[in-house]
Amino acid sequence: MKKWALAGLSGLLAAGALAGCGKGEEPQVQADGGKKQETTKFSISMRTLAFNHVEKSPNINEDKWVKRLEEKTNVDLDIVLVPHKEYEQKMIQMFATGDIPDVVQSSGGVNGKEMAGSVQAGVFQPLDELLQKYGQNLLKKIPKDAWDNVSYKGKIYAIPEWLSNPSRRATYIRADLLEKTGLPVPKTVDEYLNVLRAFKKLGVENPYMGRENFKYADTFFGAYDVFPYLSMFEQAGDLVQPKFMDSENMQKALQTYKTMYDEGLIHKEFATINATKFKDTILSGKAGMWSMNANEMLQWQEQLRASVPDGRIEIIASPTGPDGKGGHYLYGSVTRGYFINKSVKNPEGIIKFFDWMVSDEAEQFFTFGVEGETYTMEGGKLAYKQPKTPQEVDEERYRQAFLWMVQDTTYNKGTLELTEEGKKLMSVYDTILANEGRDGITFEPRLETLTKNPDISPISDQAPPILLTHMVKMVYGKEPISDWPKAIEEWKAKGGADVIKEATDKFKNKDGVTMSRRK
Amino acid sequence: MAVKAEAAPVRARRSGSAGIGRWIWKYRALYLMSLPGIVFFLVFKYIPLAGSVIAFQNYNIFSGIAGSEWVGLEHFRTMFAHYDFLRILNNTLLIGLYDVVFAFPAPIVLALLLNEVRKVVYKRLLQTVVYMPHFLSWVIVSGIAIGIFSPSTGAVNHLLGWFGIEPIYFLGEESYIRSILIGSGIWRDSGYGTIIYLAAIAGINPELYEAAEVDGANRWRQTLAITLPALLPTITILFLLHIGRFLDFGFERVLVFLNPLNVAKGEILDTYIYQQGLLQQQYSYTTAMGLFKSVIGLVLVLIGNFLSKKTTGSGLY
Repeated sequence: MKKWALAGLSGLLAAGALAGCGKGEEPQVQADGGKKQETTKFSISMRTLAFNHVEKSPNINEDKWVKRLEEKTNVDLDIVLVPHKEYEQKMIQMFATGDIPDVVQSSGGVNGKEMAGSVQAGVFQPLDELLQKYGQNLLKKIPKDAWDNVSYKGKIYAIPEWLSNPSRRATYIRADLLEKTGLPVPKTVDEYLNVLRAFKKLGVENPYMGRENFKYADTFFGAYDVFPYLSMFEQAGDLVQPKFMDSENMQKALQTYKTMYDEGLIHKEFATINATKFKDTILSGKAGMWSMNANEMLQWQEQLRASVPDGRIEIIASPTGPDGKGGHYLYGSVTRGYFINKSVKNPEGIIKFFDWMVSDEAEQFFTFGVEGETYTMEGGKLAYKQPKTPQEVDEERYRQAFLWMVQDTTYNKGTLELTEEGKKLMSVYDTILANEGRDGITFEPRLETLTKNPDISPISDQAPPILLTHMVKMVYGKEPISDWPKAIEEWKAKGGADVIKEATDKFKNKDGVTMSRRK
Repeated sequence: MAVKAEAAPVRARRSGSAGIGRWIWKYRALYLMSLPGIVFFLVFKYIPLAGSVIAFQNYNIFSGIAGSEWVGLEHFRTMFAHYDFLRILNNTLLIGLYDVVFAFPAPIVLALLLNEVRKVVYKRLLQTVVYMPHFLSWVIVSGIAIGIFSPSTGAVNHLLGWFGIEPIYFLGEESYIRSILIGSGIWRDSGYGTIIYLAAIAGINPELYEAAEVDGANRWRQTLAITLPALLPTITILFLLHIGRFLDFGFERVLVFLNPLNVAKGEILDTYIYQQGLLQQQYSYTTAMGLFKSVIGLVLVLIGNFLSKKTTGSGLY
């Protein structure tokens, strides 16, 4: 409810801002104070996010949107791109060579792997005082979760871009196929399996789309609340331990996948299906149900229509397990963070630049672009030119998601509100996704016993290597599922016992503990 | 030039080092030419070698080599005590061994076969075709392999189906992974490997073949008695070089074929180092592993060279 009100309000505000600024193309000085004198110059490293418009740009610093942003904010940016694919390695190289830009963009909080412990090593400056003076809007708009994520020893070290709804992955279904089966929208795991069986009868090649390492194919682990992931610790008696040690539910989840495998409801070769093949298969209409990030919904729908004209995609509530809940794992509350190098002498201008990012003017600029080019005014109402060609889509995405550096990344309200499909997607976020999802106790920084021993360490969305092998083999029937307790013993023997001890100790001492965001 | 050459011996008598100086001066053109090579090896091979010292430290990229804590042999101890060390070493050794036994002779056989092709046009065409896979990246090779070995859509299982054999999930069975790794290597690189052998074959004196023909030797006899012996020095050198890289099977070509179902028999030191060192930032630990690997490689080369000198009289040095 509140969100709807907010959405309406921000729409009003956007319109107000628009009326106020008239022509968007003229160089604008910051509204506050009107200081025109000095241009703030700084370099900033940014991950390309595999966006076409960014990666194919001959020189991003000459891009027209960057130029416009610079004019609006009176800064001179020197953007240093970091390739999306080798992001962690390139970032570490950057730190190792000591060639560190004025502002470093992270892909999360202080303890991200790409930061390589640089915050602890004192590479960046604390921002508390600066934010009090020059970043009041940031402090007001960004939720506490996000600030906590970019803090170290009680001091804020970065300006976070945040995710207000961390339940990002969703269960997709082909609504047109579901209609053909005549079945209602499934809720429990058993109902889900029945729908999948009906899909199979219809001749759907992949009733549930599988993928290697259970990546984006982990819906049913969520139903039983046994994600073997990094953020999934729970209290069990006196101990704090990973959720996969819940043998009973883990075996049920594995059994669900085995049933699917045995009955041909998941591809027999899912262990070798990679991301590309996953997407291609779904978009060519050969899958009935799958898991994907909800923000991809409209694009996938569009692309599916190219091969299956009457194909309809819908997001439905994820299957529920014995506790009546379900969902995918929750993302961290920070999507990108901006750290300021200790060597920067005048960080005020940089803070002001980021402060502008959460202003209404910024929302207007990044969402709709500039008048005459990406939108026109018709009778006091804004008419946005929907991008048509793939290049235009890429450019919009770049403007809204790459260049808009600090925002709530849940969804882009401005553009979604313009279409029926978009409105529907927003309601999906607020009614379905906001109510599902699995989370657990997390530790920041990462437990030392896990960093020291990568074999037994899960990552954000993948099981530890030694467990993953057992999980896949059990689904393929190469090992009995009843051996799961043995797999746990193996994990414990290879260092897991120390992990449980460290987690329990830190939990008791309240040392870097974040509690689950879901009850 | 002549004046300088006369002046040099006078100085040479004074001391030994001046003698070397004179020597260098005399052959200055040669030294000048070798300079880029020497600098290359110093800068890119010998100086980085000093970086191996992090194997004995707890290396931290912000403290650097000078500031990191010295831990001596701790990482080596951890490595030898690691529960998976023996399995991974065993995989590495076996895959290395299969590579020597099956993949090393493949280009020789292929070169001999190519040499017997009579029509020049056909031979050129064949050569081009067999070179080509070498220029494909491993990611593509693995994509092709996963495709043709697929139980549902792959050509291989389709073929097996004609003989009434049930489809086999080749990449999902750990017992096939080593064969696939070696086989894909042979498919990709044996064609390219023939270049040196074909060049060596081209250098054999044709009179030898003519004489053999006069003596009544057929093609097979000629191959055994002339071509192969003439190739032997080349084979020896290449073999010794190959032995030096015995444990360096290469990480990329293995990584792209691995999945949880076959990792138990496919994981080798290189992939392990990549996963732990680069992805998990365990730099010191994996440098220790790399160092261990290099030492084994060096020992193998020394042994191989010694044996080669004893038996054939020729070696790398």
